[in-house]
Amino acid sequence: MEETGKDPKLNRREFLAKGLRVSALVGIGGLAVLTVKKSLAGETVWQLDPSKCIQCGRCATNCVLAHSAVRCTHVYAMCGYCDLCGGYFKPGTKTLNTAAENQLCPTNAIKRKFVEDPFFQYSIDEPLCIGCGKCVKGCGAFGNGSLQLQVRHSICVHCNQCSIARSCPADAFSRVPAGKPYLLKQITLENPK
Amino acid sequence: MKQKGVLIFALCCLLAGVSFMIWDMFFRQPEESLNPYAYDMKNIKSGDTVMPRYTEVQQIKPGLAEIHGIAAGPGDRIFVAGEKGVEIYDPSGKRESAFPVDGSARCIRVDRNGLIYLGMDDHLEIYGRDGKKLKQWPASGADAIITSIAVTDEDIFMADAGSKIVYRYDHAGNLQKKIGEKDPRDSIPGFVVPSPYFDLAVGSSGMLWVVNPGRHSFEKFTRDGMLLSSWGKASMAIDGFCGCCNPSNFAMLSDGSFVTSEKGIERVKVYSPNGEFNCVVAPPGSFNEGTRGLDLAVDSKDRILVLDPERKQVRIFVVKR
Repeated sequence: MEETGKDPKLNRREFLAKGLRVSALVGIGGLAVLTVKKSLAGETVWQLDPSKCIQCGRCATNCVLAHSAVRCTHVYAMCGYCDLCGGYFKPGTKTLNTAAENQLCPTNAIKRKFVEDPFFQYSIDEPLCIGCGKCVKGCGAFGNGSLQLQVRHSICVHCNQCSIARSCPADAFSRVPAGKPYLLKQITLENPK
Repeated sequence: MKQKGVLIFALCCLLAGVSFMIWDMFFRQPEESLNPYAYDMKNIKSGDTVMPRYTEVQQIKPGLAEIHGIAAGPGDRIFVAGEKGVEIYDPSGKRESAFPVDGSARCIRVDRNGLIYLGMDDHLEIYGRDGKKLKQWPASGADAIITSIAVTDEDIFMADAGSKIVYRYDHAGNLQKKIGEKDPRDSIPGFVVPSPYFDLAVGSSGMLWVVNPGRHSFEKFTRDGMLLSSWGKASMAIDGFCGCCNPSNFAMLSDGSFVTSEKGIERVKVYSPNGEFNCVVAPPGSFNEGTRGLDLAVDSKDRILVLDPERKQVRIFVVKR
């Protein structure tokens, strides 16, 4: 008997088989597109933009690490090497020396060294820095803004969703290319913009 | 009866619990918004309890996109320089005229004949009263950033923040002298200029006063570059100057007193001719946080003209009666 009179509609078995094939094709295709896209974009890492940072203190408290991966970085080219450094001294300090009670940093992570009259060099003792941004605020307000917070990639555990970025009120965190993982402001007297 | 009491008590407990949960979920300020490492600038700025002895009487709103410099000229006219132009106002604040310039004028000075001198980053331009350019010449330093100009009948002084030096020219544009180069033999400490705020003025005695911003001091020179004296105190207190480079700008009153402006702690103050703190003109609360480059001028009636680049205003202060 001829099968010309057979109902052209798919039966359930054929429908499932075709559906499965289409789903598999879409899945494989999507995976391939994602892989190509990722390989073209390159690897990215979290970094914070110092020009957006408002020194809210959350970098110190919201990292998944007990000792935050955000630390202070000193851009020496911007520094004024001041004696009365707004990032080093507490407001109202009467004598400009390294006494603990004069220091703004809660962990004594900034080292002050005499260079020549009237210049002093300030360097960050990174293992002591907790990324609180107190010095960054003082330097930005009274100085040239040479102290800046950055995610240190040697310490960062590269969470997919950075817990500091989630709580950052200034939206200062973004993914940057792993090949250029730092975002430092470089404003100098010769290059003021 | 006893059962009813227990029921009411349990209901109250339940209501209290639900209320607490609602407050906790929707109304309680999250602990993370409290910064345990806060650097409270407001406390520092409100710490000065010295009452201002001046009052603000008028504001002028220039039409320039950015304003950088102010000067008082003959007839107490007010000259404002900025992005691509200069505007001239009469003493009452009514705009008289304006003229365009190529680029951005960082500083301005007007001599007693009404000639207008503009510091255009790396060169000086001189304009007539009608706004016609008369001449220009480049600053002598390679990385020049002209931040201030002073003019006498004999000399034109230019402060160059790039070279950290003051140049003295004659009116034909010939360099006559470099002033303030570090020279231990003459006890000249050299200028420390960490950012482009480096102001100067010629006092009523004809002596040149230059701010040494990195040392938070004023230095007095003869026109030949001999250092005569200096004064200044590095401090965040009301009688001192703080930060990397302050005072950022200054002008002189008719009695030789200094009117100073600062960044960091934005304020305008007056010091006596020998450098003693006299009074506050405008406390930090008068300015937006982060305001920099409060240029100053004084007219013949000792009104203090403050250029506020953040609010884009010229603000006029007079002594309180």
